[in-house]
Amino acid sequence: MSDDNVSLVIDGRAVSAPPTASIIQAFSLSGGALVSNVGCMGQGVCGSCRCMVRRDGSRDVTMELGCETPVEAGMQVAFVSYFQPKRPHVYDLEALTDSWQILDAMDETFPQAKSCRHCGGCDRACPRGLDVQKGVEYAVLGDVQAAREVFTECIMCNLCTLACPERIRPNHLGLFIRRALAALTLRPQELMRRLRQIENGTLTVDTSTVDDTRS
Amino acid sequence: MTAIPYAEALDRYRANAGGFPLRPDDATIAELIAAYHPDSTGGKAIPLKIGVNAGMLCQPQVAALLQTNALIEDVDIAGAEILNTDILVIGGGGAGAAAALTAAGEGARVILATKLLLGDSNTVMAEGGIQAAVGDDDSPQRHFEDTFKAGHRAADKELVAQLALDGPDVIRWLIKLGMSFDVVGHRPFGGTLKRKTPGGATAPRILSYRDFTGLEMMRVLREAVGLHRGIQVMDRSPAVELLSDERGGCAGAVVYSLEHHRFVLVRARRTILATGGSGRLHLNGFPTSNHYGATADGLVLAYRMGAKLREMDSFQYHPTGIAHPAHLAGGLVSEAARSEGAKLVNGLGERFIDELKPRDVVASAILREIQEGRGVSRDGQTGVFLDVPGLVAAKPGILETTLISLAHLAKKCRIDPTAEPLLVTPTLHYQNGGVAIDTHGQSSVPGLFCVGEISGGIHGRNRMMGNALLDIISFGRRAGAHAAEARAEAYSSRAGIGHIHDWQRQLTLADLPLDARGPHVFPDYGNFDLVADAGIGPRAAE
Amino acid sequence: MTGIKQVLLDPAIQIGADLTTWLSLGGGDGLKAAIASPAGALDTVRDSGLRGMGGAGFPTSRKWEMLIASEAHDKAIVCNGNEDEPGTFKDRHLLEHTPHQVIEGGLIAAVATGTNQLFFYINPHHTKGLAAMRRAVEQWLVHDLLQAAQAAIGKSIKLAVVESSGLYIGGEETAVISTIEGGFPFPRRKPPFPAQSGVFGAPTVINNVETLANLPHILAHGAAWHRANGIGDAVGTKLYSLSGDVLRPGLYELPMGSSLHDLVFVHGMGMLSGKEFKAVFTGGPSNTLLTKKDLDVALDFDSVRARNSRLGTGAMIVISEGTSIVRKISEYMDFFANGSCGQCPPCKSGTYQLSRILNRIDAGDGSDGDLAALENLCSILPGCGRCALIDGAVTVVESSLSTFRNEYVSSIRRRD
Repeated sequence: MSDDNVSLVIDGRAVSAPPTASIIQAFSLSGGALVSNVGCMGQGVCGSCRCMVRRDGSRDVTMELGCETPVEAGMQVAFVSYFQPKRPHVYDLEALTDSWQILDAMDETFPQAKSCRHCGGCDRACPRGLDVQKGVEYAVLGDVQAAREVFTECIMCNLCTLACPERIRPNHLGLFIRRALAALTLRPQELMRRLRQIENGTLTVDTSTVDDTRS
Repeated sequence: MTAIPYAEALDRYRANAGGFPLRPDDATIAELIAAYHPDSTGGKAIPLKIGVNAGMLCQPQVAALLQTNALIEDVDIAGAEILNTDILVIGGGGAGAAAALTAAGEGARVILATKLLLGDSNTVMAEGGIQAAVGDDDSPQRHFEDTFKAGHRAADKELVAQLALDGPDVIRWLIKLGMSFDVVGHRPFGGTLKRKTPGGATAPRILSYRDFTGLEMMRVLREAVGLHRGIQVMDRSPAVELLSDERGGCAGAVVYSLEHHRFVLVRARRTILATGGSGRLHLNGFPTSNHYGATADGLVLAYRMGAKLREMDSFQYHPTGIAHPAHLAGGLVSEAARSEGAKLVNGLGERFIDELKPRDVVASAILREIQEGRGVSRDGQTGVFLDVPGLVAAKPGILETTLISLAHLAKKCRIDPTAEPLLVTPTLHYQNGGVAIDTHGQSSVPGLFCVGEISGGIHGRNRMMGNALLDIISFGRRAGAHAAEARAEAYSSRAGIGHIHDWQRQLTLADLPLDARGPHVFPDYGNFDLVADAGIGPRAAE
Repeated sequence: MTGIKQVLLDPAIQIGADLTTWLSLGGGDGLKAAIASPAGALDTVRDSGLRGMGGAGFPTSRKWEMLIASEAHDKAIVCNGNEDEPGTFKDRHLLEHTPHQVIEGGLIAAVATGTNQLFFYINPHHTKGLAAMRRAVEQWLVHDLLQAAQAAIGKSIKLAVVESSGLYIGGEETAVISTIEGGFPFPRRKPPFPAQSGVFGAPTVINNVETLANLPHILAHGAAWHRANGIGDAVGTKLYSLSGDVLRPGLYELPMGSSLHDLVFVHGMGMLSGKEFKAVFTGGPSNTLLTKKDLDVALDFDSVRARNSRLGTGAMIVISEGTSIVRKISEYMDFFANGSCGQCPPCKSGTYQLSRILNRIDAGDGSDGDLAALENLCSILPGCGRCALIDGAVTVVESSLSTFRNEYVSSIRRRD
């Protein structure tokens, strides 16, 4: 096994690991203290293990998820901390009650979106390969359904927010649209019926219908 | 343990593809579980020696952790910064976020402290969905009965009834926060929610968003918490001890700042533990589907302070964890796959269990196949097949539209899910028991609430798919609302860690070692030593 | 200014936007010489050894030759006055106090290269310089000398003042072009180089403000005169922006090749009382630090390069033993992290991460792992961006880590 191990460097730590290991696993195997930039350990949904990767012989540095990227010989890796903008966006979804106002509310909260320079930084930053810039463009054009779709698999790693020169915060813009659409338009009929039954007391739970004998 | 080599098993699988015979089975469910479930076959449960539940049976690794000495002494927190708040929520997953949002919504000042970052939790990893009895063919009563029975009638009926009745309102609350759910067709307004049937249910009751329901839920909750002015989030701040007042009630917690390597005392009128479960303890040597943070920290602290526990000998092993390749072992294949119709197939090319039985039953059945030599062995890893190709053949396009995460997972396993079955085996998934609570999430310790996986009594001895996402929101909101009522109360006069002295007396009298310390905060392979990191050891007394 | 020859900073010509006075003081002679013989102007500049003063030190005549070689009708010269890096404050002085010196230099370059578009690209934060340049250009537009210049190249010459974005990246050559075209100052990939395709596709040369300001004097007094102004092999004079822990910070014009020691201890009158000299951040601050052993270095392009650093813009930020290297580097990294545009995510993420770690170490919360992580970033990041921002940011960190490692180590919290 160890003969097949590959050597790489993670956050300055020389690491040797089997080629099937992910970056996160390799770092842990090497004895490195794993107390941040770690979360779901392989599912690729928490975004915490965002990192910069430079492969042997390449000039390019790519943005990836450490739990999903297998190690390679000569790889160099640096984790990137969660980026918290100094002045975060602010909105109150509860105050948005009129669905006619969605676009105005979006403009008010994310005024920078209109200034997108189409530099593609967000697309290059996205470790999930989403069409982030396109999503912003859809939002600006008012095609909220298309924008919503673009951000469906967004894991909120915040790398596009870090990258954007215009401080657009694309992932938060996408999430705003998704939230606003759900909150203002999702009204399943059977849920509404069921809530009425529970709230007017016609539907309750009788706990005496089952006996306590353990099976 | 023998097993059928992969190539041979694959031939038999292909020979039977589309019509796997279901092997007749004489064993009762009770016999199956008694003979093959890891709770019975793993490390034998032992009685706790000390604490409020002394004498209660507990999984041995958990018992050892519960009976550890505190990580810190009084001197370590002398001069530490002190923060004051109405409500302290510990844990940044769905339960903690729901509690924090609700308490803050009531006007309470909230501090939410979390070990990693807000949202880093099992919630974000949940795939299958959330139960809520909304269908006309369903009812909260059915939800109650199904849950109670699936939990082997061990749950607290009042909690289960509360859970079932809360379901629809929880969904409405989540929609109001901006969470999406799959609907049939394209009619959000007045349309119909897509429903799936969880193992052990009498009606389709799982609501979902694709097969990353937890991600959709958590990103909405995280944004809502982040935007709320009444909530201060302290990330990279694990709790290392609770603070007690002069009457033994909870008065907050000591958190450790991983960023600044120092302790902070958070005094609170009410404390809500939402620290999740214990999968990363790898009980009985099993891999786990759990988040990196699931090391039972809150459970250890609560027990040390005197909170009653229950069902600490009962854990859920999810039937379908990845068996091969080894580096992905333990990763979850959502029950959504079986719920949609995927079959389990052994090395002989036969089905051996109704795939939609409760999880403990299916997991036991898989372990039986493996132990009796009918498992499939590949590169030293053993499991059974999950027939994804068959599902794709029956429901073309399902990987693109519904089981998106499954397709992603297959790619990571480097297999073509339309042609090759996944090799799966049970993985440690959920802590069924935990801190005993009432319908407000209140524990037996005054001032201390426990919500989410840390709590016990809701799921009995086996949890159904979709009831975890429901329980974290239902009880998170209840605890948040109830705790917020205390916001006008005076702080207790003292807030310290005096209770650990009594605990140390108990340890000594029971001949338990004082140098074993807990909670662990991170798994062993996190290579982290809090005592060294904080520069508080070694202690002269030892 | 005891006996040091002042050319660009000659007090007599610090007259603001007053073309009549400028011409009465000998201004215009250089331009007239260029008009008389555009080809001769190129020869003179080549012989003078004039090099780019914006940091790169590339021979000015070589840039021009690329432009001359092009047969395109439209060509452009951009006077780069974006000046935004910490510790550099020379161009803004020239723009405000001697705008005609700069504009005449630009016209000389236009005549020598047959260029019909002249852009003065000014950082809008230099409000006085910007205003002076606008007034000065108005005066040139109605002056006969401009007509004469146009006649010399047979094309009408467009003169325009363009506000830069004021962002650090806006000073990079391709970002300059992008801004003039109305876009965001994104650096572009090279090739094509600006001399091949620049402003709206026209072959373009970008010259620093100080570079252009030298031209009227070189053309008026000759190459030999210019060369003689320098020390040894170095030519002309240089503007040094001196700041930091010295008694008399300020803008100094000294013969190119003056020693660092003279700049700091003679002209800057030495360190603030009781402070020991420790190091100098040179022009950027994106270069290797100069230390005590470098006090004898001659401040010209080649001599500084021989010490593995760069003269850069001529900015010299002096720090004393009482100043924390880690804190300084941490401040500069905040500047780079803010300045990185983000179109190359590794540059943005890299500077962000560097800044985060440096801040943590500066606050006393760093660990050995943080030091390793810093060095790791210095190894990964170079070359990952389209412009040199990330390379400069890495250079200054790397240099401080190798020269002042002990300061990092002692800033790391002691845990035993």
